[in-house]
Amino acid sequence: MLRESMHSDGKQVEARGVTQGFDRDPDIPHAAGLIEFAEAVVLRDAARTETARKTLRAALGDAGFVDAAAVVAAFHGFVRIADAIGIPYTTAARGSDAPELREQAGINEFYRVRTEVRGEA
Amino acid sequence: MSATSFAGSNLPVRSDLVDAHERAWAAIAAPGTWLPGAKRVAVAAEIRRARDCAHCARIKAALSPNGVAGAHDSLGTLGAAQIELIHRVVGDPGRLSEKWSQSVLALGLSEGEYVEIVGLVAMVMMLDTCLRALGVPERALPAPQNGEPMRRRPAGAKKKAAWLPLVEPEDATEADGPLYPNPKAGYIYRGLSLVPQSLRDYWALANCHYMPGEFVYQFDRSIRAIRRPQVEIIAARVSAMHQCVY
Repeated sequence: MLRESMHSDGKQVEARGVTQGFDRDPDIPHAAGLIEFAEAVVLRDAARTETARKTLRAALGDAGFVDAAAVVAAFHGFVRIADAIGIPYTTAARGSDAPELREQAGINEFYRVRTEVRGEA
Repeated sequence: MSATSFAGSNLPVRSDLVDAHERAWAAIAAPGTWLPGAKRVAVAAEIRRARDCAHCARIKAALSPNGVAGAHDSLGTLGAAQIELIHRVVGDPGRLSEKWSQSVLALGLSEGEYVEIVGLVAMVMMLDTCLRALGVPERALPAPQNGEPMRRRPAGAKKKAAWLPLVEPEDATEADGPLYPNPKAGYIYRGLSLVPQSLRDYWALANCHYMPGEFVYQFDRSIRAIRRPQVEIIAARVSAMHQCVY
């Protein structure tokens, strides 16, 4: 989804950046603030979240900040359905597999792929 | 879209999001398909408890999630299978396996109960995370509503693509009620389809946080106050931190 949304803006994105950090600016407005906010919330770090919240709200305004928070929250739900029901990961890319993207993004190192493809426990 | 706010906050919030939270909590408190309202609210309480479970923290920190000795810090109101399901899905969802899901069912949980609880975990995590992200106080759990679960399994449910049975769009019947916005609904959309009411409750909430399905593949537009790549960089980072392929 990130790659496709960047393509529609005529831009490329470094896929591995979402798992290992971006080597260069991903050319998305306020990307650093969005990522910092998302990470702080996932990690349940109250102090870090408070700081990130103030920064992001100042940058995006109230409506943008609310939507950023709502998206962070949404993916606390999606991931749990996918992983608890065992939705096949090979359908993640618009219903089909994207092995080259999995490799580029570092997703092949995720537990689910390691255990199901390589048989690691 | 008009703005209102969540209780305990003066931050302006679009009204559809506030309304979606209201409807979601009402649905959580109501009788489900397999669980009565009181049990569903107890599940919500256990979800909150699981976030601070020391055993879950040890599992999360372990190189392998399997074989970590100990017991979950639970409220003691639910059975062993329900507690294991809730805590692992809350605490370390990226390291679940089909073998683990089968072990939970073998503890005495039906497939319908499993899926209904997963739907509740997904909803409560979304609801609570949204308020925490916004800096709004956590909402008190609702009072459970009386009534009996309907205990109905869709006739077309089959275990095929996923670890739990799904109702594929072509197998859905009128008795299931509305399930899919279109016949090509993605697998993530089908995840809760063994319990159609859970699917509907979940997506009514999720669509207000992310976006309704008809906008998902319209990459050149955004229906939110941030641009689509901004939405997706958040989504990708949160998913990656959970080790989720989706």
